[in-house]
Amino acid sequence: MRFLPLALFTLTTLFVTHQARAQWMIGGFMQGHRKASLAIIGSQESYSTYFINKNETQNPNLGTVTTQALTAVGTYGLGYDLDLIVAAPYIRTEASAGYFPKQEGFQDASATLRWEAYDYKLGKKLRLSWLFAVGYSMPIQNYVNDAMVAIGRGSKNWDGRTMLHLKGKSFFITGQYGYIRRGQVILDHVVNYYDPSQLNPNSGSKVNVPDVTEIIVRGGYVNTWLNLDVWGQQQTPYTKGTDIGPGIPFPTNAVGFTRLGATAYLRLAKQFGLTAGYNTIIDGRNVGKSSQINGGIVIGHWTANN
Amino acid sequence: MRLFFVTITLGALLVWVAGCSEPTIDEGVLPFIVPTSTDADGGSWKTVVLKAATEISVPQPLATTSAAYQQELSDVKNGVLAATPEQNTAVNYWAYGAVLRWNQIARQLVAKYNVAPGYDYATGQTTPAESANPYAGAPYAARVYALLSVAQYDALVVAWRAKFQYNRPSLEQQGVISRAPVLDVPSYPSEDAAVAEVSCQVLAYLFPNEVAFLKAKATEHKQSRIWAGASVPSDVKAGEALAATLAAKVIDRAKVDRFGAANDPSNTWQTALAKATYDQKWTSLELPARAPILPLAGKVKTWYDSTSIAKLVPATPPATTSADFQKALSEVHDIAASRTRDQSRIASYWDNGPNTYSLSGLWNLLTEEFIRENGQNELRSARTYALLNRAMHDATTTSWRTQYTYFVPRPSQIDPTIKTATVIPNTPSYVSDRAAVSSTAATLLSYLFPSDATKLAAQATEASVSGLYAGIHYRFDTDEGTKLGTSIGQLAVAAAKADGAK
Repeated sequence: MRFLPLALFTLTTLFVTHQARAQWMIGGFMQGHRKASLAIIGSQESYSTYFINKNETQNPNLGTVTTQALTAVGTYGLGYDLDLIVAAPYIRTEASAGYFPKQEGFQDASATLRWEAYDYKLGKKLRLSWLFAVGYSMPIQNYVNDAMVAIGRGSKNWDGRTMLHLKGKSFFITGQYGYIRRGQVILDHVVNYYDPSQLNPNSGSKVNVPDVTEIIVRGGYVNTWLNLDVWGQQQTPYTKGTDIGPGIPFPTNAVGFTRLGATAYLRLAKQFGLTAGYNTIIDGRNVGKSSQINGGIVIGHWTANN
Repeated sequence: MRLFFVTITLGALLVWVAGCSEPTIDEGVLPFIVPTSTDADGGSWKTVVLKAATEISVPQPLATTSAAYQQELSDVKNGVLAATPEQNTAVNYWAYGAVLRWNQIARQLVAKYNVAPGYDYATGQTTPAESANPYAGAPYAARVYALLSVAQYDALVVAWRAKFQYNRPSLEQQGVISRAPVLDVPSYPSEDAAVAEVSCQVLAYLFPNEVAFLKAKATEHKQSRIWAGASVPSDVKAGEALAATLAAKVIDRAKVDRFGAANDPSNTWQTALAKATYDQKWTSLELPARAPILPLAGKVKTWYDSTSIAKLVPATPPATTSADFQKALSEVHDIAASRTRDQSRIASYWDNGPNTYSLSGLWNLLTEEFIRENGQNELRSARTYALLNRAMHDATTTSWRTQYTYFVPRPSQIDPTIKTATVIPNTPSYVSDRAAVSSTAATLLSYLFPSDATKLAAQATEASVSGLYAGIHYRFDTDEGTKLGTSIGQLAVAAAKADGAK
């Protein structure tokens, strides 16, 4: 069952789009040497409350922001201990009130290498593995990045993470810690908000997107035909960032959130399965308090528990 | 082996990822400019608030042979040799240009205080603006820059006159090796001290909450010129004294320019709205609806000839029932429905809405580049800004006057399906103030910097049409705004031709 959680992880959280860029999770199950899979996931996410810094607010000039995404995720086992995962989302986002225009387009493509560095047997039924992953993502097209309603923030990012993955016959639990380094973005305009710490604060268009750290804990039930799991994810701004406000560029905002979710996978045929999930943000910073449902198909080589 | 290698690579990556510090805004470090001319006749240039430079007399300095002066000089020489790293930082910061730095500080403060009153969604109440700053919006910003630049310019004309009247030799000619480039003009009185003091006092009047910040800046600025080896303390003192006299006169003008009533505390704009003859009346598109921005800013005293400017207010635009209007509306609609990425970029670049230094601030930033490229000295930089900011303030005032005469609705008010790339300004649509301000700026700057005329014309065109791309202006707003702005720019060019500077 190594494929599923990976795919599901990937799918479920690919779409945190309005404030964060598309996040996607890497799971602890390896794909298997020369085995491939493709998942196509649709999702819908909306919020009418959002956090300015950590304070909840609503805005009648915004209403409810709804984001739909269609994401393709491909996974391929380059070796028994090395996987390549690529993903690309197409996103549409729209506000129900006010005059913000709808935004639509390809967001950020990403590629990740996952390496299972160590694999220990604990007794007869348990295995513990220690994994590392390195990923890179960048915008596919030059979308609008500095707007309340936008499909992403436009930065190029490096992502490094490590995972501990414990699996038994019919359950697993994975804990991971990651650091996402977000690069600089060039805005459409000169930045000139007041910041006394800057020597000459009104001369540039290039701004930094704050880096974040991430902790994810995920656990669930697995068998040959069905997967059920629950997870929690917490992203925390690591570097200095701003808060949502007039004149403040959106990409420089410090974005964080705590998100809870659940995912189900049902295998219908040897090479075909369905997935569905739900997740919701319970707390955050400069992010929409959104809930998301998603569903999709998973095609490919899915051998259970090999 | 492979495991080892990958572990090392990942480890290195993590260290790299965590170790770099990243500034929130990336700014370059620019080299100093070396002025190309001393403008020895600068003391005879036509002043703005003063009738002439002679209106403020600068006392005769002590002779360079006097013991007191020689003591000052040797103190400065020793100080230059003993400068601390902190002093050097200050020297380098201010050596960038006195006029340029104070213009930057003004932009910074405008961005900080250019705040519309907020709306508290929890209580349903509009929160008041800061009591020290009830006036946000483009006219507020344009006035700050105009008052500051005029004060700097007049102060420098007075300083220049005294410099060449008394001819106290520059410190460089007396063997002081300065820590930054210094213009080779007589050192008494210090042009930096004059700019520092007058800027500090005028900005302190405009931003009463920032007095401590401004005083600290001005003190550092004046000291930095002594640390740099550009002035002796008596040069600085004389610059400071003439600036203080002048600042009072500039503030007197500011007190009676009618801007104090521009936010219309008794809501007379509603009467004007009722009387307006345009067939559909503007309403605020904000939720909840708010009073418009500075409705009486159109009545503010102009810098250039008020009679000529009053004649420039454009005629009534086509009525909403006319075919011309419908054509203009559908153009806005079509652009908004299929806005390209580049159109969004242009809309965003020229927007400069709330909490920014405003469009006139952007033109000040763009002008900084021209001033540096052309190696203008302090006096000439101040003249450039004084001509520019007076013209942009007048263009803003006249745009406001037009907007609050006709009260033409924004496109989205007539057709709510028009989504805008930027926030819809809470003012009537006709005319486009960004077209007026940008055409004014480009007309004047093309005269002052003829080699950049092509670039400036392109920028003005882009700025003017940006409102249409954003979905917040009709084509006729833009066209009439451009016409208005060009005419005001020509008034400024005429003033530039007649002020005595070559």
